[in-house]
Amino acid sequence: MPQSRKINAPATLDLPPPFDEAVARYERELMRFLLRTTRDHDDALDLFQETWLRAYRAWPKLESAAGLRPWLYRIATNLCLNRTRDRMRRSRVIGDEEIDLERASAGSNGAHEGVLHLKAAIAQLPHNQREALVMRKFGGLEYAEIAHALSCSAESARAGVYQALKKLKLSVELSS
Amino acid sequence: MKKALQPDEFDPASDEATDAAIDKMLLLARQRLARAIAPIRRSVARVGIIESPLGRLLAAESPRGLVALTYLDTRDGTTVLAALRQKFDLVEDAETAARIGGEIERHLAGDDDAIVHRPIDLSLVVSPFQRRALTRLREVPAGSVVTYQGLAAAIGSPSSQRAVGTTMASNPLPIYVPCHRVIKSDGKIGNYGGGVERKLKLLRAEGFEVDRGDRIPPQAVYGHWQSRIFCSPTCSAVRRAERKKWIIFTDSARARGAGMRACKLCRPA
Repeated sequence: MPQSRKINAPATLDLPPPFDEAVARYERELMRFLLRTTRDHDDALDLFQETWLRAYRAWPKLESAAGLRPWLYRIATNLCLNRTRDRMRRSRVIGDEEIDLERASAGSNGAHEGVLHLKAAIAQLPHNQREALVMRKFGGLEYAEIAHALSCSAESARAGVYQALKKLKLSVELSS
Repeated sequence: MKKALQPDEFDPASDEATDAAIDKMLLLARQRLARAIAPIRRSVARVGIIESPLGRLLAAESPRGLVALTYLDTRDGTTVLAALRQKFDLVEDAETAARIGGEIERHLAGDDDAIVHRPIDLSLVVSPFQRRALTRLREVPAGSVVTYQGLAAAIGSPSSQRAVGTTMASNPLPIYVPCHRVIKSDGKIGNYGGGVERKLKLLRAEGFEVDRGDRIPPQAVYGHWQSRIFCSPTCSAVRRAERKKWIIFTDSARARGAGMRACKLCRPA
């Protein structure tokens, strides 16, 4: 047999799953995550499409199935961040965010006041704590996966979730 | 106006959107995503690893044909996969790999028809010159060889033998695009991406008995690319004609099999 010059053969191919299979596998939890994060039907739909479009464009860079889930959450989180930044920029100019909030709270009934209060409290959390909390509690991600998505250590992710829960608890206690 | 989730779309106990609400959104989202992805959708290529008598090979087949075949002990498999991923959505498929592996085994056992009918896809070859050279090389039949210079001349670039050499070295489809059938103009076997031993093994399997010492076999005949006439090595026509115009067959039968007729001057056996 010929002499080996460069041995870099994959033992198994370990390819990432086909894109459509990945969509089928993660679409539900990703939609839930986006709904939780944006709290808006249309925004969640838009960001869902944008997340998968970006994922598809970047699919050639994905070398294996490992890390696919946190990678998708990273894309979704970044898009949510961009959207929040855009909103803040726009609200400074137009100043209509407060009007929407007033409308929203005026239209709510008593049964959902607690939910709305919790949502408002979540919205006020620092970004990383909010994302970590949403990924952990609503996305069901492991701390290592959250750490991968937020580019921090698993300990930071755990601390972020802890701090977020502590603040929410305090907020609920104060309101009641 | 943004549409916020309606109260009945929430499960108040968990503050979650209900499954029914998610289902409704997913139905719409899937349709929108399919429309958005359609213009940028890549074709699917099926990839797999082949355990063949020539060693481990990585094979990939696109809808247009075989797109990559790589000796995994001499080439970097991950680089090939990375190149494939840029153009295709990859799916692992052991069945495709097994089919291609079977063809290679039959070819090595002497079945000349085993590999010639499979369509090839030169998507990984960017340069038009290289595509020309590789496409022309497919016309060199089993049991014959051509020189780098001869192949360069055959694609209309007679002085590009070095570029042809580079093309052979980066051939993404060895065996199927038979770069093992290209030798040096002085009759030496030359190099091979999979190693010289494999080149010799492939040539011998095709009936071309060469080794590093005695080069071209004495019973070889020389066929002319254009006139489609073949002669014995001692024929005056062979001495007169330019070397680069010849394709060398292991014997007369192979030359006849390739659609050539015997020279009326030297009457090769």
